[in-house]
Amino acid sequence: MIRIYFAGIDLGSTMTKIVILDEEGQVLASVISHTGAEHRRLANRVMEEALGKAGLGIKEITFVLATGYGRINVPFADQQITELTCHARGVASFFPNVRLAIDIGGQDAKGLKIRNGRLLDFVMSDKCAAGTGRFLEVIADALGLKVEDLGEISMRSTRKVTVSSTCTVFAQQEVVNHLSAGVALEDVVAGLHDAIASRVARMVRRLKVELDVVFTGGVAKNIGVVKALEEHLGCAVLVPEEPLFSGAIGAALIGKERVMQALDRGEVLPTRERRLEEATFFG
Amino acid sequence: MAAEQSKGLARAREVYLDRSRRAKELRAEGKKVVGYLCIYPVLEMVTALDLMPYRLFGDMREPITEADSYLPTVVCPFLRSCLDLGLKDRYDFLDGIITCHICDVGASLGGLWDYAVQTPFSHHLDTPHTLHETSLKQEKAMVVGLKEALEGFAGRTISAPALRNAITLHNQQRALVREMYDLRKPDPPLISGVETVRVIKAIQSLPVQEGNQLLREVISEARERRDGPRKKSARLLLWGSILDDTALVEMIESLDANVVMDDTCVGSRGFFSDVELTEDPLDGLARYYLTEIRCPRTFRSRDYMEARKDYMKDLESRFSYLHDYARDWNAGGVILESVRYCDTHGYEVPGVEDYLDSVGLPRTYLEHDYTEGALAPLRTRVQGFLEIIG
Repeated sequence: MIRIYFAGIDLGSTMTKIVILDEEGQVLASVISHTGAEHRRLANRVMEEALGKAGLGIKEITFVLATGYGRINVPFADQQITELTCHARGVASFFPNVRLAIDIGGQDAKGLKIRNGRLLDFVMSDKCAAGTGRFLEVIADALGLKVEDLGEISMRSTRKVTVSSTCTVFAQQEVVNHLSAGVALEDVVAGLHDAIASRVARMVRRLKVELDVVFTGGVAKNIGVVKALEEHLGCAVLVPEEPLFSGAIGAALIGKERVMQALDRGEVLPTRERRLEEATFFG
Repeated sequence: MAAEQSKGLARAREVYLDRSRRAKELRAEGKKVVGYLCIYPVLEMVTALDLMPYRLFGDMREPITEADSYLPTVVCPFLRSCLDLGLKDRYDFLDGIITCHICDVGASLGGLWDYAVQTPFSHHLDTPHTLHETSLKQEKAMVVGLKEALEGFAGRTISAPALRNAITLHNQQRALVREMYDLRKPDPPLISGVETVRVIKAIQSLPVQEGNQLLREVISEARERRDGPRKKSARLLLWGSILDDTALVEMIESLDANVVMDDTCVGSRGFFSDVELTEDPLDGLARYYLTEIRCPRTFRSRDYMEARKDYMKDLESRFSYLHDYARDWNAGGVILESVRYCDTHGYEVPGVEDYLDSVGLPRTYLEHDYTEGALAPLRTRVQGFLEIIG
């Protein structure tokens, strides 16, 4: 019997994630890599790596669904769907009772209202780095810290300060002012997390906060922001084991569902010549 | 002339892309061109004096630079762009300009234009913002004032037959626009949202008779065409502030959706009712320009007073026409759009959203910066919306 496989690729503004599933929905391979300027070349490279891990060839993948900010730059994809729909599907696969998903990625923050695994409504942050992963990266860089250490540092805080502005540029100035006034580093970092959480909580309240609330995206790995978000929303916030992969898993699952539904209807799967050729924007 | 050889949709595209060309040609032949801001200036009187009305637009593809010396950056980018183009001599072929009290920034634009751009003739209409009887009296006074000012500028008076003729011509234009909009009712529509923006902008860049001729050509071409828009999953109604560039509609129509109806001021808003030919034509003009244009800049107190104790009735009285549009054009979703800092539309959005929710019409709201590049991130929101309603 011929086995069929599905790939979901989430080309985010900062990280590219790819997942390969089998027809039972088991994850055979997952790869994450920094998104550079050349989306198309990267998509090919990440796909090759994932195929290598899964021990498959590109021709064995029945359906590739691309999502994320760079979704149109995946030449071998069969379909493009927004990260809004894919995140909702991915999160619901981890937490079936999810009603509000919050995703804070490198470039934006999103709130997703979900019922029975389906996206009903959404809110997205505007074109501004405040309240995103980029905000934390910029501040961590200014402080000479690694962004992944910020969460642990903030947990030592006893008197977090208020960072009044979440504009990245002005917040950076405030951080410098606090530090020069002798405020402990952990209290400043805790204040930054609070500023992000407060901004995102205000945004997602437009969708009404109902349990389960799930938090995904790169920033969900920061325990300080998770705690701050729980404080601002006044409820528990669930974080999946791999918070960065919800979009890619959702994409692969939607692809799988489409193919399975087509097979159930007795349709013959369209065969598509799929090649992982090098493509580039730069000549 | 090459520009006059093409017809219909091709001609509309040409005028859209080089909209001042015809005005400059006519000016070289001795015709005076009068620019106007927004859809409240009484164009019938401009036409009756054999002047050419020419609507002022901004340019979202041109970065605003000069206007920042006159207007703060946190006000309507469309009006900032209009002033910017004036300061860059892009409106140097205008002999006159009519501005009106659209909003506070719009009102100040007239004074700033006089101060910094200095078009030879200018007149400002203090169009009332409510529909009380006294507002109608004031609007009539404004219409009389404009008539006198235009007559002084043109050096002749408006004869009654000329004004009646102009009213008829502009009503014909309104009827033709409605006829063109009817071509968007079939599925797929016979004319796309992008083409509609081009045509509407083109007719506001031509004398009314030429605009009417263009509309007739477009209508007959669209009826016969085989290369019209293709059928897509979603049919959308677009509501909102000024859209004088095809970019946003182009982005929406590049997805699996056709924009089949609009309620914007470079769209249906200025064309969906007629001026009544009253005994004193100025009465009909005053009534039309005050009460018949449904823009959020006018507080529809007449409707509101009857429904003010019931929020949903109030919404129904103000926005039920949107439900009618959605039904008649078979639109399954509504995109609300506004340029950033447009308080006039921004404050209207929650009410429109509540109304659309009450009648079960899915909607999403986009706010944009009036720059072409800033529209790209909105693509995900529109596509996400289509995935939800699809």
